[in-house]
Amino acid sequence: MEEKVLQVRNLQTHFTSDAGVVKAVDGVSFEVGKGETLGIVGESGSGKSVTSLSIMRLLKDTPGKIAGGEIFYEGRDLTKISEREMRKIRGNEIAMIFQEPMTSLNPVYKIGRQLEESIILHMKLSKKAARERSIQMLTAVGISRPEKIVFEFPHQLSGGMRQRVMIAMAMACNPKVLIADEPTTALDVTIQAQILELMKSLTTTTDTAILLITHDLGVVAEMCDRVVVMYGGRAVEESDVVSIFTNPKHPYTQGLLESIPKIGDRVERLSSIPGNVPIPAHMPMGCKFAPRCPHAMDVCWDKEPSFDKLTDNHSVRCWLYEEVPTDEPNLVGSSER
Amino acid sequence: MNQTLLEVQNVKKYFPIPSKLFSRKKEFVKAVDGVSFTVNKGETLSIVGESGCGKSTTGRMIMKLLDITEGKVIFEGQDITDMTDDQIRPLRKEFQMVFQDPYASLNPRLTIKEILEEPLIVHNFNKGNRNQRVTELLEVVGLNKYHADRYPHEFSGGQRQRIGIARALAVNPKLIIADEPVSALDVSIQSQVLNLMKDLQEEFGLTYVFIAHDLSVVEHISDRVGVMYLGRLVELATRDELFGKPLHPYTKALLSAVPIPDPTVKRERIILKGDIPSPANPPPGCTFHTRCPFAQETCKIQVPEFRELESGHYVACHYAEELEIN
Repeated sequence: MEEKVLQVRNLQTHFTSDAGVVKAVDGVSFEVGKGETLGIVGESGSGKSVTSLSIMRLLKDTPGKIAGGEIFYEGRDLTKISEREMRKIRGNEIAMIFQEPMTSLNPVYKIGRQLEESIILHMKLSKKAARERSIQMLTAVGISRPEKIVFEFPHQLSGGMRQRVMIAMAMACNPKVLIADEPTTALDVTIQAQILELMKSLTTTTDTAILLITHDLGVVAEMCDRVVVMYGGRAVEESDVVSIFTNPKHPYTQGLLESIPKIGDRVERLSSIPGNVPIPAHMPMGCKFAPRCPHAMDVCWDKEPSFDKLTDNHSVRCWLYEEVPTDEPNLVGSSER
Repeated sequence: MNQTLLEVQNVKKYFPIPSKLFSRKKEFVKAVDGVSFTVNKGETLSIVGESGCGKSTTGRMIMKLLDITEGKVIFEGQDITDMTDDQIRPLRKEFQMVFQDPYASLNPRLTIKEILEEPLIVHNFNKGNRNQRVTELLEVVGLNKYHADRYPHEFSGGQRQRIGIARALAVNPKLIIADEPVSALDVSIQSQVLNLMKDLQEEFGLTYVFIAHDLSVVEHISDRVGVMYLGRLVELATRDELFGKPLHPYTKALLSAVPIPDPTVKRERIILKGDIPSPANPPPGCTFHTRCPFAQETCKIQVPEFRELESGHYVACHYAEELEIN
């Protein structure tokens, strides 16, 4: 059994608003091992980004709060440690790449200064050594003429270049875990291919664990070892990447895979999941997917299924694979409701 | 059957860059630099390309939302290039547009009914029974009349895009220009809207110009596909030809860059080096030569002609034949 770097257990992140408490993340568990890439897939509002912000403890300026659960990083529970201790981990041992390369760099500082900031802070290097380290990192992410780039401002770089700088910044302190929240969504496909290739080669050389948050199943198929599918703030399925794509169990995963058009695979009509993504403030009572599910039974509307293991590495949250509690009458109900 | 509905002849759009004080030289961003294609009745022509390639600008020029610097747009045999706003207004009902951002393209202060009525009023449609037409439109796009009195913020992205489509359909257009209609939507909603667009095309005999960057969506919806790079078309062919036998090195790279949602497939990928050059200062010769893995000396000097290599398959590359053999 390989070592798990990061373990998230039953994480709950709630947002308090005028309309009451919104459970953005409601019971998510997963583990990432060394050098492993775990994909978290979901649509907007599924709670995937909030999960990553919770791990980084970046919810301070939001109405959000971690309401329960544990996040173990190398044996320490990140939900319990002080902000001071967290600061030592954040950016150093757990680093993050954000979706928007345009807005996540500070526009008024030169690239070099932004890169060196965390290097000086965490690695306790001198200014000169930090400059060397940042040039070395920029070279590693494939930026040509790095000695010049450190004197440039973010607006002078293209989107792909900025995302490379973000990756260089995240990788500068040799983090053990890299959280990438939609790292290529804002980029063009040819640039996306470059960045994905770069992330892949970085993990093989440094053994970093990656938590890749995305909605693009294509990216997941190419990058990840394991996948967690999220829906309505919950993990609905978790497995290795091949099983998710070849043998999906949860009706949502199945629907999602069927609804994406694939190159070279022509169909007259795409099958689609009816209805809309649920709004976190108006979650259905039982299974969150029941209103859109083609297999919904009576029990699905009343009770939420638990997240159970089907096999050693395949878990699913669905009544179809669970013993329905016997006190429930009328097991095989209609799906018309 | 192959009746031409729209003809675009060598259109160009140059945006002037504000010149420096005392500088006499006027500089331009060549957003679109000589694009020609025809669209036949009832077909879907897609234009794909990365950001900044000029695909949206092309769409806007066809709609006459932007002035055309050079070239001609001919709609049903009528040259609309130099028409004034007053002249074009009655024709506008023949071609409508669906926009990318369903959150920004609906007026937040109007109800859905008012949004859908607006084109009817402008074009003097269905006087007297506009209400009925609104209900009809909502049903056509899979909503119902109870939605008519609500405001845009009460709808989800997918529903808003349906309203955007209903608005475009209101005046019975022949041509719909859809600028990235599904790229802002969630995956499970995307397929709903794509299916709806296909159904509507069959029902009303619509012609689509579909502007997108997502190749898998394009393959699903199109009959013919044009690929743009830095303001020029580099390849234009039927869907089967383009996806089955791409001739331009850029198209090949673009196709190979799309991640395939199947972890069991491993494939050779062409990774392009560098970024897209700035359209303000495009490279001489073939604009793609800076990133092309097969670039030769000729490519740096001579602009390749957009030629018909095989029947209906156009490509702008000096060495398309030789690359095909390899």
